[in-house]
Parts: sequence; C-alpha cells; structure tokens
Amino acid sequence: MIALPAFSQVNPLPPDRAFRFTARALNPQTIEARFAIADGYYLYRDKIRFTAQPVTAGLSVPPLPQGKPKEDPFFGRVETYRGSLVVNLTLKDAAIGQNIVIQAESQGCADIGICYPPQVQQATVPIRAANAAPARPDESRKSWFD
Amino acid sequence: MKKGRWAVLLGATVIALAAGLYLGMRSQSDNASDASTLLALSLPDTAGKSQPLGQWRGKVLVVNFWATWCVPCREEMPQFIKAQQEFGPQGLQFVGIAVDDADKAERFAKELGLNYPVLVGGFGAIELSRTLGNRVVALPFTIFVDRHGNVSHTQLGPVRPDQLSSIVSKLL
Repeated sequence: MIALPAFSQVNPLPPDRAFRFTARALNPQTIEARFAIADGYYLYRDKIRFTAQPVTAGLSVPPLPQGKPKEDPFFGRVETYRGSLVVNLTLKDAAIGQNIVIQAESQGCADIGICYPPQVQQATVPIRAANAAPARPDESRKSWFD
Repeated sequence: MKKGRWAVLLGATVIALAAGLYLGMRSQSDNASDASTLLALSLPDTAGKSQPLGQWRGKVLVVNFWATWCVPCREEMPQFIKAQQEFGPQGLQFVGIAVDDADKAERFAKELGLNYPVLVGGFGAIELSRTLGNRVVALPFTIFVDRHGNVSHTQLGPVRPDQLSSIVSKLL
C-alpha cells in the first residue's frame, strides 16, 4: 500500500469486526444465524441475504425481524439493525454429520459517516444430533472485493 | 445495461485492479505524497468513454470515491457541487469515482445535479481506493491533489464544509 499522508480523522473498524457473523445449529433442522454489531454501527435490513451450501440442505429463510425505521432522502423509509440480529434459519434436508456452510451477505454503515460495501461472510456449521456449539466464522471469509 | 457497456466496465475494473496491485507493489519506493500513479489511471465515464485522470494535471484535483448505496457520500456532494461552481474557474476540479455500475451512477449524478465528471470504477474501485490509503475500504474516501501532482490530504469519511474550504483555499 502506498504510504500516502494520513489525515483521516476517523479510525473505524474493518467490516468483519464491525459486523461479526456466526452461526450454530440448534438442532438438525434449525440454524441460528447471528450478527454482533459493534456500537455505533448498523446494518440495512433489506441488504441482508442468507444462502447455504450445499443447496440440497434446503435452506428456508424466515422474514427478518423488524428493524429501526430510518428515513433516507433518496431511498425513502429503510430499516436498520443495531446491537445484534438473530435469525433462525430452517434446513429441510440436512443430514446428520453433514457440514453446512451458511453464507450471509450484508451491508452497513457507521455513525461516524462511512459506509462499507456489501460483504459476504460465511460460517461452517456441523450438523449433529444434539449440537449447540457455535461455529467459528470461516477463515476464508469472502467479500466481493477480495 | 448494454453488453458493450458491461464489457467496458469489466475492462475498467480489471485495469483498476491491476493498477491497484501495481500501486501496492510500488509502495516501498514511492514518494509518500506523489500522486503520479493516481494521475496515470484511466477509467470510463458514465457514457463508457475512457477518461485519463492525467487530463486534470495542473489543477487542484479532488478525487472522491462514492457509491449510490452510501448515504454519507451523497450527503457531502452538494458542497462539492457548490465548490466546483465557485472555485472551478480558479483551477479546482472535482472528479467522482463511483463504486457502482454505470447506470446507477449516471442516474444519481443527474438527480444530484453533479457538475463535475463521474468515472465508473465498479466494485473494483474500492480495491483501488485501498491501495491509495483507504485501509478499511469504506466510503466516502477523498483524495486532494495539488497543482504539482502531490497528494496533500486524504480523508475517509465526509469532508466537513470548513475542512473543504480550508484545504481548497490553501491549494488554490
């Protein structure tokens, strides 16, 4: 990276620390997907997407919980999440012993006046008969600018 | 979007990424304030025509990375429009680099009434901005280049009106 003069007045978190994504299996049919959102940061409700690999696991995403309304002069009424977001995803056809990769796309901003581009994070969730251990975010976190 | 424009944008993105990698590799030897590598870049405008940033060499150049999905980016643009109008005749030149596709960038540029060029970097432009000092790859990100081709100021986050006035008045 070029060592240009650094005059920036803000010291923001990188996006994967501002918006930490984890997932765990509550049971073989239910995955708890969670965003831990740092103070001063928020996610846009309508920018969040979940997918699963393999697709044969049959992921079903419920309507996301209502967010905090925010008036955008260009986009109108939008909803945002702060603090945390927990969504219980349903797997119709996951097999015991299978590893399911939950991929979460999100886009958010910080109150200091910056926005992050859409990012994709993922977590691998082992499906066991009785499993409540959280899955660590994958080291191979993907983002469209990687 | 037409296929031709996609092809142009894809090409521009590849160029931008390649330039970014090139800039990154040169990081050890470059003069810290030299913007020559930035000024050597070319990106398409919203009509798909390639625009070399070097065409504005000799002016006080303000390169602003923005996106339609970035509210703070849009909020700071009216002051850029005003400054371009007021100080353009004295040699101030704003250039927006949209981290977006051409259609969205063009529509927003019209809605906002931008009076300065908008170049389209696509998503690859965010990587380009990283090589120019945008370490957390967030927007808006703005680079001020003086008439001699030196970077005098970079800013992650909105430029306050008093900051803009202060920086520009020193450079003009």
